[in-house]
Amino acid sequence: MTAAVPGSGSALVVGGGIGGIQASLDLAAAGFKVYLVESSPTIGGTMARIDKTFPTNDCSMCIMSPKLVDCARHLNISLLTCSEVEAVNGRAGDFRVRVRKHARYVDEDKCTGCGECVRDCPVERESEFDSGLAKRKAIYRPFPQAAPNVFTIEKRGVSPCTAACPAGCNAHAYVALIRAGEFAEALKIIRERIPIPAICGRVCGLCEEACNRACVDQAIQIRALKRFAADYELSAGLEPKIEPHPEAAPGREKVAIIGAGPAGITAAYDLARLGYEPVVMEARPLAGGVLRYGIPEYRLPDEVLDRELEILKRSGLRIRTNMPLGPKLGHRELEVEGYAAVFLATGAGASRALRVAGEELAGVLPGLEFLRDLAGGGAAEAVRGKTVAVIGGGNTAIDAVRASLRLGARRAMIVYRRSRRQMPVGAEELEAAEAEGVEIHYLLSPLRIEGRDRHVRRLVCQPMRLGPPAEDGRRRPLPVDGDPVAFEVDVVIPALGQALETAPLEAAFPGLEIASGLIKVDPLTLETNLKGVFAGGDAAGSGGYVVHAVAHGHAAAESIHRYLREQDLRTGRQEPAKMEAAPPESFVARQKRIEVPALQAGERTASFREVETGFTAEQAVAEAGRCLDCGVCCGCRRCVTACKAGAVDHDMQDEILELAVGAIVVAAGCETYDPTPLTRLGYGRYRDVVTSLQFERLLSASGPTSGHVRRISDGEVPGKVAFIQCVGSRDLRTGNAHCSAVCCMYAIKEAVIAKEHEPGVTPVIFYMDLRTAGKDFDKYAHRAQEEYGVRLRRARVTEVGPGASSRQLNLLFENEAGRLEREEFDMVVLSVGFEGGEALRGLARTLKLPLNASGFIVSETFSPVSTPRSGIFVCGPAQEPKDIPETVVQASAAAAAAGRILAPSRFSEVETKVYPEERNVAGEPPRIGVFVCQCGINIGGVVDVPALAEYARGLPYVRYAEDNLYTCSQDTQTHIKEMIAEHGLNRVVVASCTPRTHEPLFQETIREAGLNRHLFEMANIRDQCSWVHMQEKTAALDKSRDLVRMAVAKAALTEPIAAIPIGVIRRALVVGGGLAGLTAALAVADQGFEVCLVEKSQHLGGLAARIEVSLNGRDAAGQVAELIRRLEAHEGVQIITNARLLAVDGFIGNFTSRVERTGNGQNGELTVEHGVVILATGAVESRPQKYLYGKSPRVVTLLELAERMTNSGLPDPKTEQASPPKRIVFIQCVGSREAEHLYCSRVCCAGAVTKAVRLKQEHPEADITLLYRDIRTYGLSERYYTRARELGIRFIRYEEDAGPEVCETDDGLEVTVFDSQLGDPVSLKADLLVLSSRIDPNPDNGELSQLFKVALNAEGFFLEAHAKLRPVEFATEGVFVCGLAHYPKTMGESVSQALAAAGKAAAVLSRETLDVEGKIAAVNTARCRACGDCEQVCAYGAVSIDPERKVAVVNEALCKGCGACAAACRCSAINVRGYKDEQILKMLGAVREAE
Amino acid sequence: MDKANEMKAIPLSEMDKDFKYEIAARPGAAYFKRCFSCGSCTASCPVAELDERFNPRLIIRTALLGLREEVLSSELLWYCSQCYTCYARCPQDVRFTDIMAALREMAVEEGYAPEALITKTRSVDDLARRLRYGLAEVARLAAAGREWGKQAEELKDLLAAGLKEIV
Repeated sequence: MTAAVPGSGSALVVGGGIGGIQASLDLAAAGFKVYLVESSPTIGGTMARIDKTFPTNDCSMCIMSPKLVDCARHLNISLLTCSEVEAVNGRAGDFRVRVRKHARYVDEDKCTGCGECVRDCPVERESEFDSGLAKRKAIYRPFPQAAPNVFTIEKRGVSPCTAACPAGCNAHAYVALIRAGEFAEALKIIRERIPIPAICGRVCGLCEEACNRACVDQAIQIRALKRFAADYELSAGLEPKIEPHPEAAPGREKVAIIGAGPAGITAAYDLARLGYEPVVMEARPLAGGVLRYGIPEYRLPDEVLDRELEILKRSGLRIRTNMPLGPKLGHRELEVEGYAAVFLATGAGASRALRVAGEELAGVLPGLEFLRDLAGGGAAEAVRGKTVAVIGGGNTAIDAVRASLRLGARRAMIVYRRSRRQMPVGAEELEAAEAEGVEIHYLLSPLRIEGRDRHVRRLVCQPMRLGPPAEDGRRRPLPVDGDPVAFEVDVVIPALGQALETAPLEAAFPGLEIASGLIKVDPLTLETNLKGVFAGGDAAGSGGYVVHAVAHGHAAAESIHRYLREQDLRTGRQEPAKMEAAPPESFVARQKRIEVPALQAGERTASFREVETGFTAEQAVAEAGRCLDCGVCCGCRRCVTACKAGAVDHDMQDEILELAVGAIVVAAGCETYDPTPLTRLGYGRYRDVVTSLQFERLLSASGPTSGHVRRISDGEVPGKVAFIQCVGSRDLRTGNAHCSAVCCMYAIKEAVIAKEHEPGVTPVIFYMDLRTAGKDFDKYAHRAQEEYGVRLRRARVTEVGPGASSRQLNLLFENEAGRLEREEFDMVVLSVGFEGGEALRGLARTLKLPLNASGFIVSETFSPVSTPRSGIFVCGPAQEPKDIPETVVQASAAAAAAGRILAPSRFSEVETKVYPEERNVAGEPPRIGVFVCQCGINIGGVVDVPALAEYARGLPYVRYAEDNLYTCSQDTQTHIKEMIAEHGLNRVVVASCTPRTHEPLFQETIREAGLNRHLFEMANIRDQCSWVHMQEKTAALDKSRDLVRMAVAKAALTEPIAAIPIGVIRRALVVGGGLAGLTAALAVADQGFEVCLVEKSQHLGGLAARIEVSLNGRDAAGQVAELIRRLEAHEGVQIITNARLLAVDGFIGNFTSRVERTGNGQNGELTVEHGVVILATGAVESRPQKYLYGKSPRVVTLLELAERMTNSGLPDPKTEQASPPKRIVFIQCVGSREAEHLYCSRVCCAGAVTKAVRLKQEHPEADITLLYRDIRTYGLSERYYTRARELGIRFIRYEEDAGPEVCETDDGLEVTVFDSQLGDPVSLKADLLVLSSRIDPNPDNGELSQLFKVALNAEGFFLEAHAKLRPVEFATEGVFVCGLAHYPKTMGESVSQALAAAGKAAAVLSRETLDVEGKIAAVNTARCRACGDCEQVCAYGAVSIDPERKVAVVNEALCKGCGACAAACRCSAINVRGYKDEQILKMLGAVREAE
Repeated sequence: MDKANEMKAIPLSEMDKDFKYEIAARPGAAYFKRCFSCGSCTASCPVAELDERFNPRLIIRTALLGLREEVLSSELLWYCSQCYTCYARCPQDVRFTDIMAALREMAVEEGYAPEALITKTRSVDDLARRLRYGLAEVARLAAAGREWGKQAEELKDLLAAGLKEIV
């Protein structure tokens, strides 16, 4: 036993699949605090995605969801979803774990799971839960039963378009909203940061340049979409609306803004929205600045500018024109007039000089002046009929050259000194210019302008080349040798950039610092050296685009706001680098952009009409539909508005948690193989080739087709469906040499369920070896073939290709007869295998755990859930591929193993809830409170909830009724408690959703208010009213009234029900002293409880002691000896051999058993009192009836061979001499998998193969042959089969109807068999024939099942409570099973199950008392006639007739409250508490009232 | 065992037990014994598609069981077109194409290969060698800037004669 390390009674469980859930529940039940870490937003794992489970066809979600609820609500399980383990330090008993809890952007405590947010989210993603067959939104809950039942927002960083906007406009959001048809919402998003959307939508495309879609085909035309959103408002006649700033506070200080260009307008817009009084002063007669005077009309018509200004003016923007800086307007004058701050946004109106000879000639027109004259009309004269050369590569240059053409220039060209790539102007503009006929000359730098008569005549240029990049990153142009190039031109327009006219500024603002020709400002705050004076836009070098000036406007407004509020100007403004989202990793089909409708090139140059005419709504939606949603969540924040609970928080940050735990359980699961690389199987090429998990989703009622089996391509019901096995399993090419153990069964199950859902489906399963080795699996496979017509074909499909018709897929394989065959199918399911996967590799690195060759976490046969690192345990497919029950077994085993380490600190870290004393309500008239839930608009949108509450108020005994937005929210719980106290309520009814998820919560609430939890009733008006009658609001309200009336009627009759505590005898009885029994006994004893082990035979050790070595060669006999030694060393352990159980009495916590001892002079009887019992009675090898067994000494069973191989090597059976047999034949399935015994003995394949390997290794000359039907070396055992073949052991497959025949000859035995792979009969000589004989259940099981009132299956193995989720328990509580008593299994599996049983037992023993559920049967003795009907029907043996008193008596510990007795009783003498006849009748009466 | 009774059973104990080890010892054939008879090779084989008697899986099976003579004497051994499709698709990485090479070598060594085939193969080899020498000579002359028309004519004759001989 591990010494008690001072520290922790807590455990960390990594992985929230069924394994992690079970381990957590077990640990918590045993008195430990659990942190359950899961990387996804919900627990549930793969099991939640599965439709049905084999072999019982139970609905996976139905059997699992109670565990999800238990786990999520458990006081001592801390559910850490969206979380990852980052580091683990320390040692067993004292680990320190660092966990990163990723921001889910939704507050788990506030979110009620109503789902309103989903409706408004414009971003759709492929649903992981539905394996990509359905969509979900960016804000999502993986599935409706998710735990915790809250939403999550997926974010992958900031989309590059959004990150690219200097003004911070959320491009991704408005694109997404346009795609969703929400045009007005899109414009709202744009207006948050862009006061002039129609303008930016015409002139700015920085976002577009950053678009990731350009890597696929072409960027999304974001600029044109922005323009569409703005124009749509006008064309649809919508009232422009400008929202107030969220931080608006009445300030009313006056702020002077000099210049009505984009920077000035933006600053004024922000300040006005913040509540200030900005006044814009513009020197020119009209507002707009560069927008009006710098951008020609064909790009930005004046009417667009005027409209934008009009909208801004209507919302309060004040612009005063004709107000140039000068004597009347300067710094001092503004101060005098009471302006509290000034923003200088004068623009930079002067053109930069060319600085070459001839610049003074007539015909040299500076670019900006030229463009300004366009607006004035003077430019036309200058260029009409002339040849124009524009110098420069920026927007001004392109605008000037295109304007020249429009003004009638004969020829227009651009001369640029770098190459095309270096041009600052956008490609779009350049292409438009070229289309209009502009010539462009690259790599030419003007040398001089030659003139005649003081007029421009010729432009002479120096050829250039590109040198290395300069400081700004652009490659510098360098002159090259060669003759100058000359152009005969009439007009030269230098457009090299702009300059600030500094003189008027310096005059108006004395002392204003100017540097490099610009106003000097702090780049972050835009402060100038003058207090209260800020500057921005072109005057302060904002950047080349209009949007840069807008950005400056925002920054200035922010600074002025802070300045006027006397806050620090810098705090929090240095934005951390945004994590830019990469393009999605998934495949994106190419789709060309939708061209923006525009004038024909010919039409363009004829006038200054706007070239682009803009998208139609359909075009805009389609173009926006190309968006890749790089950042996933677009940040439109519509979910924030939709959430009435205020749970969405887009600014949430990751949290780092430091946890102290004593033990760690790894239940991280594994991954399924991605078949995309196996292109020949058609996955990803043909839509109707799906993976088995996708097919599960198609079968599931909650899946994309609501459980209807449909082809993906056309939605039709498929006829023939092929299942291809071993995809990514038993295939070295995929890196997975192992067998995935579960695929054979799940494929058969999927085939059966598909057939059940659509009788027209014909499933065919292509397999190599049918590996249905589990309990009742072969029966299932048999039924699938016989009853459902599922065809099994032994073939490995090598190719899936196109079929004869486009509907069909053609499968190519070698058939059973050795012929090449092609078969056509409508649909193909790839049975994908398991592999460790990247996530598990990463976790193993973090935990410093070794992985085996297949990528699973290493463990040992006799400690299957222990890892090489002490204190860290593993369970489920993270350790080896396995199915659900084995995972659950291992999870319980890992919990038990961890419990051994944590045992000294049991209960030290768990919370126990202390409730107020229960109020005695006996004798009080019912005072009912009714709480009706709106569930946001989930219920409230259909059912008139206030009216329903009003109606409830008038019902009998109702003292109080109200409606709540969310009745389940935390604050409502507090409110309910207050109302209980205030109105003296003694019954509570909630009308909301389903009791399945919410009843425990409300019961807890009223319990906290001092009411017994059974004084609660619930009406489900969501599922039964608002959901199913969504279109019939009146009917929904009527039905809601009925349901509430019924609930109130029943509530009036409810009574407090007390839980019944029963004491626990803290001792376990273990029946059977084999490997399983010994392991279980020791595990219980190690946790500090007494154990009594009874063994029928004289010796402990069972089969394991006889087999000597495990499959992988570990010393089994030694292990057994070690277990016995450690067990005997325990003080509280009593071992009784030669023992037989005579009688058992009692129930969980209180059993009394009588044990008879014989032999060793200890004859006699003794009585054992115990709280639990573990049945580990093992199994026996059957004696073969054929193959000369018992007739020839050369024929032995596998177990007998094992015993021979012990110690002495292998003597010749005939002579018993040391000369070993040369020729050995194994025959598999002797007595198994045949008519009378349809089950597989599970262990013989691996057992025989490993024995054969050992013999071959010890005797290389031996000729060994193994005759088999299917080699069932499932999971990692496949390696033994591979090894055996590599060694040259011969494998011959035979068919059931052509089994081997054995006869004795002079030269040993002769075995004849039809080799179905060769297609010929073969014969073999054998000196030794080994029969893998069937494993039979222990013949004592029948008697034991009677004693403990537990069931056996048809074969006589013990029947667990549930094949999947309760694999070591029985319907009878306190009785557990493990080892071969349950079903044949390997030693490792036995040990796992033994540990699991021990853990379950310890959880019971750790309690001093057990509370028995109060809703059980009770007898009204006055009415009871002692007829015994109730005793007859009770499945739990809980009801019996007391012969003395002549009445029925209920054993409260055994009763499950099923009500069978109440239904059987003819005198209404026996009733289940909480469901009395009166209550039910009253409810039915309440229904009648409505009629 | 009805099927077995109808036909004469192959006495496996009398077959060549060492055959499989011999094959596996050949270069490239080390993984030969790993075969688990799934038939991926046969189903991938373009030759098998044309002539169903050619069955790679069955060839391995027969060899594994030690039917030495049957394997090495079979005409089918020479049908493999060495396309490597089976090689690429074999889940156990058995490398059938290389095994075929090993089996062909053994067939030649042990005199199972048809004489005509061996002669033909030798002719091809011989022709190829002579052509290679001839071409090298042409290349040498060309590099030295000398006339090589005569040598080229000789090569043409050689090729025509050689092909005629082979066909």
